Amino acid sequence: MQKHLLRRVVPVLACAVALSLSSCATFQRWGDQGAVRQVTGEIKAANAPALAARSVTPFLLDGEIVLIPSDVADFWAGVLKAGFTIDGATLDAGAAVSPQSYQKFADTMEVKAFFSRYVKSGSRILELNTASGTHVLLLVKSDWFTWKIIGFKGPF
Amino acid sequence: MKRLTASAAFFLAAALSVGAVPADVTYTEGDASVRLKNGTQKDAEIGAVLNTGDTLKTGGDGQAELDQKGVTIKIARNTVFTLMEKAQGNQSTSVLSVTLGSIKFHYNKLTGTEPQVRTNGALAGVRGTDFTVFAGADGSTLFTVDSGEVSVEAGGQTVALDAGQGVEVPLGQPPGGTFAVHSDQQDYRTWNADKLAAMLADPLAALGSVETAMADYIKNVGDYAASYQEYRQRLDAERQKRAQIFTEQGADAAQKYEQDVVTPLALQAGYLELNVRFYALAALSLRRFVAGRLYVILKARSIATPTDPTWVSFTSRFDALLASFEKSIAPQLVAVDI
Repeated sequence: MQKHLLRRVVPVLACAVALSLSSCATFQRWGDQGAVRQVTGEIKAANAPALAARSVTPFLLDGEIVLIPSDVADFWAGVLKAGFTIDGATLDAGAAVSPQSYQKFADTMEVKAFFSRYVKSGSRILELNTASGTHVLLLVKSDWFTWKIIGFKGPF
Repeated sequence: MKRLTASAAFFLAAALSVGAVPADVTYTEGDASVRLKNGTQKDAEIGAVLNTGDTLKTGGDGQAELDQKGVTIKIARNTVFTLMEKAQGNQSTSVLSVTLGSIKFHYNKLTGTEPQVRTNGALAGVRGTDFTVFAGADGSTLFTVDSGEVSVEAGGQTVALDAGQGVEVPLGQPPGGTFAVHSDQQDYRTWNADKLAAMLADPLAALGSVETAMADYIKNVGDYAASYQEYRQRLDAERQKRAQIFTEQGADAAQKYEQDVVTPLALQAGYLELNVRFYALAALSLRRFVAGRLYVILKARSIATPTDPTWVSFTSRFDALLASFEKSIAPQLVAVDI
């Protein structure tokens, strides 16, 4: 009877702990840093196919909405071919998307609509400081451990 | 009063939808998706019906075929196709929009009310049975006619094409000279690669063409929106007058006034509103599939050299283009258009 009870209670407790951790600022920052490491690692490795696979469409580049997946793949291949690096990237700020987040990309009707239509709640908007300037990464969760890139801005 | 309004609304909706012809998906292969007018996206499936405002997009390995009441539309790889609608005279008409890529059209029979075919820079009236449209990355268009006739209009000039002829229309310019060609002799990938190379060789000139075409769309939107507002004001005044007639002379007199005065005005306002939307969506298509793609390619090339003079000049003019779009076109769009 006790074993049966434990089998039911332990998973519930584990979920409760995970949920409370996920709302904890330290845990969020740890998660954001992990996502940044994943993306910057692929940029440093000049791995355009991995970046393309990590990106979703519609994709937001600065204030441009890219609808065609091959255009996003071509973009990553192009930036790496142009010698783009993201040396010394540090996470400056990370936050869950809010109704005002679109302004981090562009204060336009299109970008506002993009956020309302395509950016799920719980998505993260991260600001990175790099040797070449500031970048903004917009990430949506794909599964528990993987983030997909839905927006990229910078350097500015 | 409610009965009058409801019947008028039904009549108006029916009259406005006369020219809207749906298209059935009859074949798909590989990556082919549909984006419905309400913003929903899904795979294109055989048997699906496309209505005005719906878009079919094929990827690098995708193809699709549609049937629109006797018109066979063969959509090749890497193509974006939208069913649109605009008003012409006192009726609405279907417009088949080739935004990017290539499409072959076959008309089983000609009825005299064939839909127009548009690209980012040209509009074609169809009197032919077989022709192909190429829409390039730089917004230019190539028409080739295998049988029948097609008239191509751009920049205020019209060129008539016979069987075995083709014409190229650079974005923002009138059609060029006609030349002898068969559609099978033209390869979209080669043609588009040439257009892309020319665009990237002189991106400021390419942006200039976009600016010209966008200015034309903005003017059309402004003109139709101003006329629409004028008709709406007249319509509001006539509806008040109809209410007054109802009170003073009864339901029959009010119904006659509704039919003779109010409904024709409402129809005209509806047609004007349809054209505001048509040109606003055409401007969005130009902005997204020509201007936006040019920006993305140049951004990739210049990301490590942000002070490159061409990139600096380009972004300055691009920002001005976006400001015009935001001011004149965006107010006519809704979130599901994005």
